[in-house]
Amino acid sequence: MGFPIFVKGVGKKYRRYHTDTPGTIHEALLRGFRKLLPAEHFWGLREVNLQISAGKTVGVVGRNGAGKSTLLRLIGGVGRPDEGLIEIEGRIGALLNLGAGFHPEMSGRENILVNGVVGGLTKKEVRERFDTIVEFSELHDFIDSPLRCYSSGMQMRLAFSIAIHSAPKILLIDEVLAVGDVAFQHKCLERIRQLKTGGCTIVMVTHDTGMVQALCEDALWLQGGRVAAYGPTNDVIPRYLAEAETGVWSHSAVK
Amino acid sequence: MNRYQVRHQSNTWRHKYDLVCVLVARDFKLRYKRSILGIAWSLLVPLAQLVVLYVVFSGMVPLNIPHYTTFLFTGILPWTWLQASLLVSAMTVVDNRDLVKQVGFPLPLLPVVTVLSHLVHFLLALPILAVFLVNDGYRPNASLAALPLIILVQFLFVSSLAYIVATLQVRFRDTQYLLGIALFLFFYLTPVFWDVNAVPEPYHSIMLMNPVAMILDGYRAVLMRGVWPEPFPLLGVAGLSVIVLTLACTAFNLVRHRFVEEL
Repeated sequence: MGFPIFVKGVGKKYRRYHTDTPGTIHEALLRGFRKLLPAEHFWGLREVNLQISAGKTVGVVGRNGAGKSTLLRLIGGVGRPDEGLIEIEGRIGALLNLGAGFHPEMSGRENILVNGVVGGLTKKEVRERFDTIVEFSELHDFIDSPLRCYSSGMQMRLAFSIAIHSAPKILLIDEVLAVGDVAFQHKCLERIRQLKTGGCTIVMVTHDTGMVQALCEDALWLQGGRVAAYGPTNDVIPRYLAEAETGVWSHSAVK
Repeated sequence: MNRYQVRHQSNTWRHKYDLVCVLVARDFKLRYKRSILGIAWSLLVPLAQLVVLYVVFSGMVPLNIPHYTTFLFTGILPWTWLQASLLVSAMTVVDNRDLVKQVGFPLPLLPVVTVLSHLVHFLLALPILAVFLVNDGYRPNASLAALPLIILVQFLFVSSLAYIVATLQVRFRDTQYLLGIALFLFFYLTPVFWDVNAVPEPYHSIMLMNPVAMILDGYRAVLMRGVWPEPFPLLGVAGLSVIVLTLACTAFNLVRHRFVEEL
């Protein structure tokens, strides 16, 4: 034991409903409740095993629909695996769903409190981090204006600043580093490196293999919901790229 | 076997408490943010309802209930709390997609937050009710101590139904409309504007089985008659609510992991 993230034999089954499955009580009464049951199941993720030790950063790569985001969500506890087990040790911070609880009518200040608490901090912890968050977001001058006056870039900057300051033991990142301008991106990467040296365990989903090579010791390559390769970045990424290059995707593992 | 487990997570209770506070405060602020009338807005609807019901059942079709304004208002306020809580609870999961997707967010809090938000409005309206009461010559006595308990019973009752409608709405998108119709009809079967004791048998006994009627009678006993409420009906409602709440929460917890997919 002692892995901050321990994933064993995890599978996630999705339900596919009848095209005419009743969406209302009215229809269900008219057409019978039988159609309410899913028509079929398919596995979005199957037999995934991961043991990530403390302080490691793992990059998850794979094509669209390979199950990368599903895996990240399951690790974060959003939805449950249908088989296997996931054990997490320590507080999880997530850059998956930035700005949860944000409301355009509230000021940046009020939104920091709501979003910070929604993200897992207590009110006291948000207040302690308040100045750092504002400073990081570079939004001092706007902090008391309603969020609707912010540009979308400014909103993302605020959301990112809150999320990245929750001092998590485990950080989940899903393709969100494309926020803000180049300067802000650099700052974000710098902050992620800082968390990493501080012992934070990170799992990041990205299509940017360059970033995986720069940040991650290990890489996980998912294909059709199964692990195609898991190991040191320098072994996995070249294979992943080679396969992408040739365009020959072996789907045999999927079926 | 499937399992998800988080260990070594500190201060979870503190965090849940803060979450509820922050979300209730957010609801509250948003409701009044850009409204000139501010807090008065939450009182305007019940007051308008009061005026209409008063004109109809005092002037046009007299029911001859003493202190009718106060009688009405002690019924309208708890009813408004119940009705608004349930209608909003139905939408609470569907409308908070971003919270449902949030890592670590305790979903079962959502219906409670809604019921508490509307409890705040209920409490803010109580001073106005107090004005009516004092105007009718009411003087507070010891039985007023039972008021928080009656509020607690209603809180349990409303919460138990809130979980049911919140769960149903995710799968059946017309739950909210059907709920609206059910509440509209149920309003007339509940002694908000009529007096249950003036109803002839066999209706009297049937109407007394309505849990909301028991709760309203509790409020009226304490506030209007200045006596302790009858304990057994209220304890019955409390017990029933706890059972339904447990079942509804269990059902909610069974399906909540699917909410992400269904939204």
